[in-house]
Amino acid sequence: MSFLEIKQANVGFGPVSNRTEVLSDINLKVEENEFVAVIGFSGAGKSTLMNLLAGLQRPDQGSVTVKGQLVKEPGPHLGLMFQNYSLLPWLSVFENIELAVKTVFPKLSKSERRENIMHYIDMVKLTPAAEKKPHELSGGMRQRASLARTLSLQPEVLLLDEPLSALDALTRSELQDQILNIWEKDKRTVVMITNDVDEAVLMADRIIPLTIGPQATLAEEFRVNMERPRDRHTLNDHPEFMRLKAEITSFMMGLNKESKANANSSSTSMPDIKPKDFSLPSARLDFRNRKAKPSGSRSVA
Amino acid sequence: MSQKGSDKFKYGLLKAIDVSGFKVFDPVVRLIFAEEPRKQIQDIAKYMLLPIIFCLVCFFMWDIIGPRHKTKSGEVPSPGKVLEAAKDATRFKQREGEKEAAFVAEGKDREALLADSKKKLTEFEEKTAELQELSAAAAKSGQNKIDASLNPIKEKYDTLKAKYKTAQTERKEAISTLADQFANKQASKDELIAAMEEDSLQKESEKEELKVLSQQLDDIRANPPKEIKEAQLAANKAADEVQHYKKVIDILTTGNREVKKNALLEKAEKAEAALTVATTGAEAQKQAKAVVSNKDKAGKADEQKFPKAATIYWQTYRSLATVFVGFLIAVLVAVPVGIMCGLNRIVMACLTPIISIFRPVSPVVWLLIFQIIVGAFFPDPDKHWLFQTMNESKLLPGFIHNLQVNPAMIFSACTVAMCALWPALVNTALGVSSIDKDHLNVAKVLRLGFWSRLFKIIIPASLPLVFAGLRISLGVGWMVLIAAEALSSSDGLGKYVWDEYQNGSSQSFANIILACFVVGIIGFFLDRIMIMLQKLVSFDDGSATA
Ligand SMILES: Nc1ncnc2c1ncn2[C@@H]1O[C@H](COP(=O)(O)OP(=O)(O)O)[C@@H](O)[C@H]1O
Ligand SMILES: [Mg+2]
Repeated sequence: MSFLEIKQANVGFGPVSNRTEVLSDINLKVEENEFVAVIGFSGAGKSTLMNLLAGLQRPDQGSVTVKGQLVKEPGPHLGLMFQNYSLLPWLSVFENIELAVKTVFPKLSKSERRENIMHYIDMVKLTPAAEKKPHELSGGMRQRASLARTLSLQPEVLLLDEPLSALDALTRSELQDQILNIWEKDKRTVVMITNDVDEAVLMADRIIPLTIGPQATLAEEFRVNMERPRDRHTLNDHPEFMRLKAEITSFMMGLNKESKANANSSSTSMPDIKPKDFSLPSARLDFRNRKAKPSGSRSVA
Repeated sequence: MSQKGSDKFKYGLLKAIDVSGFKVFDPVVRLIFAEEPRKQIQDIAKYMLLPIIFCLVCFFMWDIIGPRHKTKSGEVPSPGKVLEAAKDATRFKQREGEKEAAFVAEGKDREALLADSKKKLTEFEEKTAELQELSAAAAKSGQNKIDASLNPIKEKYDTLKAKYKTAQTERKEAISTLADQFANKQASKDELIAAMEEDSLQKESEKEELKVLSQQLDDIRANPPKEIKEAQLAANKAADEVQHYKKVIDILTTGNREVKKNALLEKAEKAEAALTVATTGAEAQKQAKAVVSNKDKAGKADEQKFPKAATIYWQTYRSLATVFVGFLIAVLVAVPVGIMCGLNRIVMACLTPIISIFRPVSPVVWLLIFQIIVGAFFPDPDKHWLFQTMNESKLLPGFIHNLQVNPAMIFSACTVAMCALWPALVNTALGVSSIDKDHLNVAKVLRLGFWSRLFKIIIPASLPLVFAGLRISLGVGWMVLIAAEALSSSDGLGKYVWDEYQNGSSQSFANIILACFVVGIIGFFLDRIMIMLQKLVSFDDGSATA
């Protein structure tokens, strides 16, 4: 039995008369200490999938289990990092994390607790902003604060919902390394949602695409068979990296085309956007793509 | 380094005036710190000077237009009169204080006070005599002026009156001869009627003319020249002071607490002396009784309080205390109930009909209802433990005794609470039910218990809206209170206004307008305080405040 498992789960929203099935027939198995990335277009239902894993959303059908136990309600062992930070705006960064630590580890002494909190704030390099309120922070700083809070729960499973989307390229690569470091030092099961193929390939053991909704489902997985630690500086010369990236990109573009065709046939109009760089899967084209849209890893290199 | 320190101070100050809602002073502070002086001066001119000028223009127009409107209680008082009323009110308060001091003074203090009062009395007596002389002189010189304007009109009136009188008798005779002629068939019926009609028309117009003139005369007599009025007013004021110090001396010599007590003790001693020489049983019993009763009275005299008259200061104090109590009750009810409504849709559904029906009910109706209900709880208010503790208990400080709590204050506070309840309740419910779902998800992930969720997430998140509601509530409460006090004669500013209205002395109207300003200014400050609190609890950088 897998550590984390979703079996034939369906999730829909709205009343019976006007129901949209967001996720359908989701099957997912994550082994202990595995790093899985779920990749998908925005609006596909990634956050819904995350809520499902975190217990914030019950499936209409099917089941979600952790260590064989049904997930009935959320809890600190399922450490969800929310996509929109969800920091409490009336508390400072320190107090936000303090609330989490105090609730989950009530037995810590005051000094231990303080140390603990500062450790996580330090980990995401927010020490100078510890006493600031969320509205005084930039988007990236908020995201880091949110990550620190999630880490401070010391969860069995880390559920990261687009944890790095609001970060600039430099900070992003730095934090990617940090997450990987934390994960490698202190093995944990991680499910991360992302919409960046590079990020997924760099970080994950497996990459699972989510098809475009409604009725999105998980597609065939891509296994990343690259040795760790992965060095982002040499990654671009790694044939496996290039191959996977091209494959996943083309797969995702295929999904997009398919959904557009569906959309056209079913008369709902969609904006006619077609990123041309993604249209042909080949290393050469991808090289062009890299110039057009540098991602964090390469801008460092 | 010092530059930086002063900058810090500057921004602290700017923030403070922003939070307290006095943003108008922002350019002044910046100007003091010499930041873009040109711009600041422009801002001051635009946002401070112009409003001040506008207000001055308004006052000026009031000063001109007000006195032209004559009412049953005199002309509409000018700003100067209202200011005068404010000064008088302050003096009245001082006098009450002096009288009280005279009442409680003991031993040497009393003697010192007596000497002082006597000195003041002679001072004012001299002043009064002087002023009365001046007033008489002014009246005399003014009389000439009055006569000068009065006499020509009077003359005209007299001559016209005499003229009309002769004209009338002439017409009367003419008609009687015409009537005789008609009887002898020498004149027609129409002729007689026409003459009659003519006479009555003439009479009417003559009467009208005379009336206009006599009105003019009355007006002149009723409005003596300003100097006379002012001189008289000054003399009256000095005479008032004389009256006051006479009263103070009277209190010091006979009404004083210690004096009274000593007199009673003396009586008791005398009775005791009489008791020792008493020969009959009946006599002994009578004297013994006198000893006991006088000693008892002397003991009680110590606790006696001076019955101070109600000043506008005290009425203001009492209104503030009442609105505070009422508002507190409203908050204690509205916030928990509002939170329950926001948390639970069933509770909301249950309470919606009640809220919808009772919210639009007029404060007047609530006042009457509470007057009846509260009255039933205190059939004998003077003996009720609540008022005895509030007004006499040694454990409570003097400023609470000073309030003179009574059932009227309680039902006024209840009325305030009832009317102030709704905005706070509705806003709290709205604030709680519209909490960001993400924040609730945080609570779920942390598995916070009900109480932690309430105090760590729900209440902090809804505080800005709760305070917005409380602000409206306090404004409503203050308005309702003044009306309730006026209507129910419960002590406070409302009663002050009502009493002045009923009293109808020459100063009443000015006093009413004075009270109007007091109510307005206090309302303004209450609102400011609430805005300040609201800004302090809002976490999204002040944008949530209205
Ligand atoms: N609570 C909800 N009620 C109704 N529809 C929802 C709800 N949550 C999500 N959805 C719908 O589900 C779809 C997927 O949303 P989401 O999971 O947030 O997408 P993603 O995270 O992939 O961008 C969207 O079309 C959204 O409108
Ligand atoms: Mg999402």
